Amino acid sequence: MKQVCKSFGEVQANQNVDLTVERGEIHALLGENGAGKTTLMNILYGIYQPDSGSVLIDGQPVSISSPGEAISLKIGMVHQHFMLVPTLSVSQNITLGIKERGYPFTDRKEVDRKISQLSKEYGLDIDPTAIIEDLSVGVLQRVEIIKLLYHQAELLILDEPTAVLTPQEAENLFTVLKRLKKDGRSIIIITHRIAEVQSIADRVTVLRDGARVGCDDIGNVGETRLSEMMIGRRLETAVRSDTPTRDRSHEAALLSLEGIRLKGRNVNILNDIALELQAGEILGLAGVDGNGQKELAEVIVGIRQPDGGKILFEGNDVTGLGVRKRKRIGMAYVPDDRHHDGLILDMDLSSNLILNSHDQPPFTTYRFMHDQVRRRHAEQTISEYQVKTPGVGTLVRYLSGGNQQKIILARELEGVPKLIIASQPTRGLDIGAEEFINKLLLAQRERGAGILLVSADLDQLMKLSDRIAVIFDGRITGLFNNDAGIDLGEIGLKMAGVTGAAR
Amino acid sequence: MKIIRELGSFILIAGITTLVGAILVLAVGADAGKAFGAFFSGILGSFYSFTEVLVRATPLILAGLGVAVAFQARFFNIGAEGQLYMGAIAATWAGLYLPSMPLYLHLGVAMMAGFLLGGIWAMIPGFLKSQYKIPEVINTIMFNYIAINIVGILVRTVMANKTSPLPMSPRLADDLHLPFLADPTRLHAGLLVALVCAVLVYLFLYKTTWGFELRAVGNNPRASSCSGISVKKTIVISSLISGGLAGLAGGSEILGVHGRLLEGISPEFGYIAIIVALLGRNHPLGVVLAGVGIAALQIGATTMQRRAGVPASISLIIMGLLVILILGRQYWVKSRST
Repeated sequence: MKQVCKSFGEVQANQNVDLTVERGEIHALLGENGAGKTTLMNILYGIYQPDSGSVLIDGQPVSISSPGEAISLKIGMVHQHFMLVPTLSVSQNITLGIKERGYPFTDRKEVDRKISQLSKEYGLDIDPTAIIEDLSVGVLQRVEIIKLLYHQAELLILDEPTAVLTPQEAENLFTVLKRLKKDGRSIIIITHRIAEVQSIADRVTVLRDGARVGCDDIGNVGETRLSEMMIGRRLETAVRSDTPTRDRSHEAALLSLEGIRLKGRNVNILNDIALELQAGEILGLAGVDGNGQKELAEVIVGIRQPDGGKILFEGNDVTGLGVRKRKRIGMAYVPDDRHHDGLILDMDLSSNLILNSHDQPPFTTYRFMHDQVRRRHAEQTISEYQVKTPGVGTLVRYLSGGNQQKIILARELEGVPKLIIASQPTRGLDIGAEEFINKLLLAQRERGAGILLVSADLDQLMKLSDRIAVIFDGRITGLFNNDAGIDLGEIGLKMAGVTGAAR
Repeated sequence: MKIIRELGSFILIAGITTLVGAILVLAVGADAGKAFGAFFSGILGSFYSFTEVLVRATPLILAGLGVAVAFQARFFNIGAEGQLYMGAIAATWAGLYLPSMPLYLHLGVAMMAGFLLGGIWAMIPGFLKSQYKIPEVINTIMFNYIAINIVGILVRTVMANKTSPLPMSPRLADDLHLPFLADPTRLHAGLLVALVCAVLVYLFLYKTTWGFELRAVGNNPRASSCSGISVKKTIVISSLISGGLAGLAGGSEILGVHGRLLEGISPEFGYIAIIVALLGRNHPLGVVLAGVGIAALQIGATTMQRRAGVPASISLIIMGLLVILILGRQYWVKSRST
């Protein structure tokens, strides 16, 4: 790809980007969120058209105006959010959009056989007749990869493939990718994790703010160099002081959950969850997305009512209290889904900051709200949290993800909460914002707040947590002290639901 | 740049509607000059014609405010028509059957009765939505039919005028009438009620915690509930106020114009109110302007029919076109800005 430019409105997503991928190499496309990685790949896959610049394949300039054409040029892409039809079978999904021999009376058995063969050849274990909605994320990713192989893709693009995987699943994926490489296929892997780049890629191209900042063999650039290239400056990482500020183990727990159960439509979402959290500690909750961590967080803050069990906060039973009451007695909630759960995008910044306290003084007397107070409060918060915004009247929709998250944190940390439930607080944020939030959480811990940190990012949990609990299928499958002896592999196995006895 | 584009789009919309209006006038074989002359003189030709516009605007503003409040809470109240009729029933009933009391008190009580019954009528679908997630669009429409037919039943039975074969209620006492504002025109104090309501709705929506919660729930119910705002309560309150305002429109029509309950007192005010709210972007000031604008369009069109023989239904076509263009414009502006 040469000198590719693409802009959306006034945002320049790619400017003069060059990218060269050799046959038979694994090429990492590294950059922060919003650096333009996915846009560039969507251009290559024909979803977007470049404003200028060209795409060359085997030296021939081509114009790719749709994913269909990309597929016929043997380019395939696995999106970050899988593009599969939940109600169809694996093999139906794989052949979706292609007319097999005998169409419309496709020989399904023949197709299934071919898929099984591919699956065996590359160690991608799947059942072609399984229905998509019954499968786990890890399996879905295999389906997506087989789909590309079935389409005989020579160039595979994977967008953040490990974001949804356990460490073991990620290892398996890497093995598969290495096999594909051996076959002479090329792979582009989009990521913002430097460790991943180093373990799998042959070469790396780094993007920042839509422009290419460098391209090199992986052997020539070290970890620090890569991170500098990626964020454009040196990073001071947040470090947890090793010992808790004060030994509180003899004190009563700040939060204790007793036998929390939550029923879903067919299955139990939460099964007899029992956890204790002390003041002044960060308890990490590790797990692959969708194993009940979001629901657990919502039960603790009162958005959902559990079907059984008790929630004790400072020794008092708060199970029956609503969200508002729980927040008032010292709970804070940072939801994982900023746009749906955390913010009202079409209301302004100052209003979003007082969503919890809008009916309290000083914002309100006798139900009448004081606009001036609200605005002044917002101005203070903006400077305290270094929120980048044109003004306090700006709709939250127009802020960047990091700044939106700062709004939520500012709101929730107001009033010095004793307990903070932080669900994926740094998901989708760039490294700078992530560090800001990590430091903020650590500062809250030093202050003496108890924090339940839900995260799918093990690195983050290892860095911040005092203890790490693992959740799988609505159960706590393990609890580890985060000290020198912690076994990452063990945590990974627990995340995948492998119990000690089964090994 | 953005302002120019917005302004431009409005000029474009005005241009398109005028053009389509002209084509329609020509298509029915009328003299376009004469038709447009009649149209404008119908609106601004005399003081009387202008007051007629305001008389027409009064129920549109009241019901439009109601629809706007509901829309801000994302409660899609399509039932202003039925709520208006329920308000009319209650106001007539209070006017006819309550024991005698001082005139202004009686008027106030009758209007309040209109507000209450209209509000309760809307609160039923509101409750069904908040409690059982039953879609309010369908329920409010169905409630329109029920309300209109309740009027039909009442004026033939319990509230029938025994001295007349026509289906209507007895006439209210002659002095039980909203004060006229500019004799000898028909302009009545309902307009003042509408304007006061617009101010109150503005204060309610933008200066009180109720309004804050209502707008928050309308924008994002999920985030609102996550921060502890009761979505159910908010929807019920918004439906009550929304229906109440539409009910006031009915009361104002009874006490200010008709003086008795009869079928067809509303030439679809309740439906046109949706257009008014839409054009006014659910903002009280916008609703007032849009209410007057739509009323002018309708009054102008009737004059055009009378003087130039152009069917007044053209105004309905124009209104439909306006809605499509304005929705299209919003979509266009949005898609350009992202």
